[in-house]
Order: sequence, then C-alpha cells, then structure tokens
Amino acid sequence: MAKGIELLEKLCQAFGPTSCEYDVADVICEQLEGKYDEHTVDFIGDHVFRIKGKTDKKLMLSAHMDEVGLMISGIDEHGYLHFQPVGGFDVKVLCGRKLFVGNYGKEKISGLIASKAIHQQSAEERGKATPIDKMYIDIGATSKEDAEKYVEVGDYAVFDSDFVKFGDGMIKGKAVDDRLGCAILCDVIDYIHENKIVPDFDLYFCFTVREEVGRSGALVTANRIQPDMALVLEATAVGDIADTPDHKRVADTGKGPTVSFMDNGTAYLPEMVDFAMGLGEKHNIPCQLKRYVSGGNDAGHIHKSSGGVKTIAVSCPTRYIHSASCVFNSADYDSMYRLARQTALCPVDETPVK
Amino acid sequence: MINDLKAIMNVPGAPSREALIADKLSEMIKPYVDEVNKDPLGNVIAVKHGKAKEKQKIMFCAHMDEIGFIVTYIQDNGLVRVTSAGYIDYIAASNCRVRFENGTVGVLCPEGKTEPKDLKADKFYIDLGVKTKKEAERRVKIGMTGAVVPSCVKLAGKRYAGRPFDDRVGCYILVEAAKKVKAPANDIYFVFSVQEEVGCRGSRTASFNVRPDIGIAVDVTPSGDVVGTGTNLCVKLGDGAAIKVKDNSVMCDQKLVASLHELAKKKNIPYQTEVLTYGGTDASSMQTVAGGSRAGGISIPIRFCHTPNEIIDMTDVEACVDLVAAVCEEKDI
Repeated sequence: MAKGIELLEKLCQAFGPTSCEYDVADVICEQLEGKYDEHTVDFIGDHVFRIKGKTDKKLMLSAHMDEVGLMISGIDEHGYLHFQPVGGFDVKVLCGRKLFVGNYGKEKISGLIASKAIHQQSAEERGKATPIDKMYIDIGATSKEDAEKYVEVGDYAVFDSDFVKFGDGMIKGKAVDDRLGCAILCDVIDYIHENKIVPDFDLYFCFTVREEVGRSGALVTANRIQPDMALVLEATAVGDIADTPDHKRVADTGKGPTVSFMDNGTAYLPEMVDFAMGLGEKHNIPCQLKRYVSGGNDAGHIHKSSGGVKTIAVSCPTRYIHSASCVFNSADYDSMYRLARQTALCPVDETPVK
Repeated sequence: MINDLKAIMNVPGAPSREALIADKLSEMIKPYVDEVNKDPLGNVIAVKHGKAKEKQKIMFCAHMDEIGFIVTYIQDNGLVRVTSAGYIDYIAASNCRVRFENGTVGVLCPEGKTEPKDLKADKFYIDLGVKTKKEAERRVKIGMTGAVVPSCVKLAGKRYAGRPFDDRVGCYILVEAAKKVKAPANDIYFVFSVQEEVGCRGSRTASFNVRPDIGIAVDVTPSGDVVGTGTNLCVKLGDGAAIKVKDNSVMCDQKLVASLHELAKKKNIPYQTEVLTYGGTDASSMQTVAGGSRAGGISIPIRFCHTPNEIIDMTDVEACVDLVAAVCEEKDI
C-alpha cells in the first residue's frame, strides 16, 4: 500500500470546507517542510510549492484542499442550528449524520443533523427526502444563549466520519474529494526530494482553495503562474453501482485513475488525453478513460487562463462522492500516484509542450 | 466563391478537435496576411500590420469549431453511445448521418418508442453498420468526435441550405476580407477561435494573447423571419450584415456600434441592427479578458441554426465581407 495513505488519513480528517482550508494547509506545510525550493501563499489561501527544473517550462500540478460542507445560517430559540450547503449536496446524504461544527482557530464541537422522527411525519412527508430548510443541527444546546457559547452564524460544519480500511484494499472516508489529490502531490514531492531528482519541468505543486464553489483558487493560481502545461488531480464519481446501465457508468473502481476527454468545464485537447494514456501504457500503469461527460474541476479555469494552458485531469474513481462515506480502492491511489510522478518527471520534449 | 465556403464546411472540427480545420484555414489565409500563429489551445491568429502611425489592434474573431458528438461508450453489439459537444437539437438530429473525425460514418438513432420531449443525448446511439464491439472499436474509440455529415445545397436565388454554416461562414468572411484589404490602417488580427460552442473558451486565451483595443465577433445570428420563433427577433434573412447591439453574453460598445452603422451607410453596404434575446458569442470574452476591449459583432443572419439544414443568404455574406474589409481600411473606428 502506498505510504501516502497515512498522510491521506490525516488530510481527510482535517477540517476544511470551502474558504476555510487553513487546517488542511497546515497539515500539508508540515509534511513538506524543507522539501521544496520556494513556497508562496496568495491572498485567498492557495499554497504553491515550487521545485525548480532544468528548463523554464512550467508544469502546474494541482489539487484542491477544500471539501463540501455546511454553513450555519441561523440559531433558533431552542439552540438548534439552521444551515446552508457549501458545495453540491444530495440532501439525502445529510439526515442523521454526525458533524464537526466550528471555524478556523476555534474548537470543533460535535453535532448531528436531525429532522422530524417518522412518528411525527405527516403522510405527505413520509418516504420523501427532508428538504434542507426542514433539517437542523443539534449540538446538545439547551437554548439560543447556550448554543451561542460555541457557535456563531457563519461557522461551518463538515462530516465527522472515520477513515476505515475494509475489503480488499478499499478505503472509506470523508473529503476524499480532493484530499486524495493533495496526498498524491505530497507523495510526488517526497519522491523527488528523497531521490534528489532535478526534474526537466519547472514544477509548481498547487494546493488550491474554493474548488467546490466557483473554483476561484485555481483561477487565481493559474493566472499567477501562467504554466505551459497543467495536471489536475481529482476524485471523480464512478457510477459502477447497482442499477446504473453500463453506458452510463463513469468508470470502474480498481481499473486505475480516469483520464478525462470532456466534462462540463473542459474539452480536453486530444494530444493531452493521448499523452496521459500513453504515459500509463509506457510505464504499465492501469488507466481508463472517464466514459461519461459530467461534472467539472479546476481544469475548467486553468486551461483557459492567461494565454491558454494545455491541461489534463486525472481522477481517482470514488464511490458515493460528496457524502460522509466516500469509497475508493487503494490500488487506484497507487496507480494515480505513479502516473502523477511520471508526468512530473517527464522530459519536456516528450510532452505536448515541446 | 461558394466552393471555397463548401471546402471550409467540409473539414471536421468538433470543440477541442479543430486541428484539421485550423490547418485548412491557416493555409487559405496565409497568402493575404503578414504572419499566422497558433496558441496553446489551437486558436489560429493571423496578423496583417497596419500603416497608420498611431495604430489600434482590431481583432476579428470567427470560431472554427462546430457542434458535434463525442463517443462515451461502445456496447457489446457494436452500437456506439455518444453525448453532445455543444448544443444539439436532438429532434433535428434524429436519424441523421454522423461523420467521425477519421471519416467513419454512422446513423444517429433514438431508442425505440422515445417520445419527442424525451429526445436527449442519453436516448441516442450511433449505428455504424457493425455487429460487434470489436468491429466498432476498429472504427471509433471512446473520446472520438463526430458531427452530422456536412452538406451545402442551393435553394432559390442566393440562398443555401446545409451545415455547418455556424460558424464556417464567419471563417470564410474573414478569409475573403483578408483577400480584399490591401493596406489596412490599423493592425488587424484575424482569429479563428476554438471551443466557442462549449462556452466561448478559445476566444478568451486568444484575446489574452492579442490584447485587442477593439474586438469584433463574426458569427451567425438567428433570423426572426420564420414561423413561431416565440421571441421578438428583428434580424431578417437577406437584409444585410447584422450589426450586433446585444445578445445574452454581451452589451456591445455603443460607440463601436455607431461607427459600424456610419461606415456601412458611407460605403453603401446593406446592414441591419441585431438585438438578440438569447445566445452568446466570442464578443463576450474579447470584451472582458485581461484589460478588456471595446467589443461588438458583425453577424450573418441564419435560419434553423444548429440543425442539419441551416439556411443563409449569400447577399448577407457579401455584405459582411464588405463591412469587415471597410473596418480594416478605416483608421478611426
């Protein structure tokens, strides 16, 4: 099993909803201490670690630090918290979940999402997903005043979910999207550092903020670096679950990372798709084409930033994405790490940038 | 004349797969400009330097990409599943022939008994005439693009039906204007952009690279002179070059709109005003990229846009060529 999994556990357990990624960045900074040539943080919180290359061609490797979460929008007289989603949620995954409620620099307290018990539901309400405005967070407070000792409007909540290994190499946790990409970036930096490699590309490892809402972190970072090529590391929905017909499945868990040819934000250049798939083939790394056109990621902003960037997105197939229990296969993590490493260390003239 | 347009229409180029049409257009415009460059996303940027002392940069932008399909899955029985690259009218595309970028042809079929209102990408498959997945995979692969087979037939007068006029007719106009203009006043950038149909993406990076003072999109605009358009569209087929005031993506620079009106009047070029209540063009990205530019559009009226039989009138096309050429030769725009 890749050693990065230990780091991934730490990253997944960190509290980092959109625009509040500080705890995640702290874990990354600690991990990477002394392993880079240059470290910059921009005004919205993107962290960029540079490892100088032999050439001036810039390769941006990027993963986002934020996770989907909730924002506290009100506290009622009984001490219950009302909330709004931050990022895309299926409301059905929320009911009954354990949460951490808090903010940067504050102690995180436990809470859970409650809604009306089945006994109290009307015939109309039964069997239906409870809408978000009828759900509330219970932090055990007895009154508004009591709740306000711990929480204020504008604080966040994220899932409280264990990182669990199960089955044959399967792993379950929260925030796999996209702490998995962050862990892989750290692994690649570790490898370069331990082996004292000077890469051909000038490498910019970018840990971006705010992907789940508007992707502004990647936009700012790409415009600042103005790279020649970009690799986006992501987690993607899979759809290899019961009752999804074959042609609507996005990918298969266990068959390696996906390479995207198109999603809602990007029509990837064919030379970039061929480059990524070809690199996999050359180094015997299992890869698969992402088969269904859906979703989007930081590539959407990166490829059309500044004068245009040749961009590819590589993603780990992840079941039940954007829920408390994202599930992925550690073999896919391993393959994705190897593909990212090979991309980072690829000679410039063997890439579409030459 | 029409043969040059047909040649431009015949080259495949779904969004992000514009390499072939980019080569074709580079080759066509090369003799009439000072340099031709390509940017990282594949935009073709042709430059003709001006003779004025204090020059402006004027960027004309016509997109090379056409709406199309992209293969997502190949079934065991050899039927090919696709999704849209750009906005497809699936009622119009039902049972049409589709040509892939490598020349393979198939038929786009809806699943049996699908109600017209349910005709969406995931209800379609392409029949290549093969019996197995293996045979299909020899012809197409996942991620490959295609489009409804191009065609262009003459109707009455100077009107033609076929596809893709959107926006190969704009590309044709830029090539013809480049031929016509001998000594431009300002620096003229003729840009053939990529990926307009998926959200005006190519023109963003092209504008960043060019940094124009004035950006003019040369693209088609729906004409309102057909039955049941449902909205108030003022443009009419055959009434001349349409000078854009707005669409859903851009409010054009009013001084530029006025200059274009005056210029058309002065040169006796038939023109009309375009106020489009929906849609978008590359003008939007030219207006806002980097430090921004004064943006507008010279549009070609079209009927039944994004269907296998779009209709245009060559008198409008000629007017657009004349107006683009006139802008190139005018110093103060």
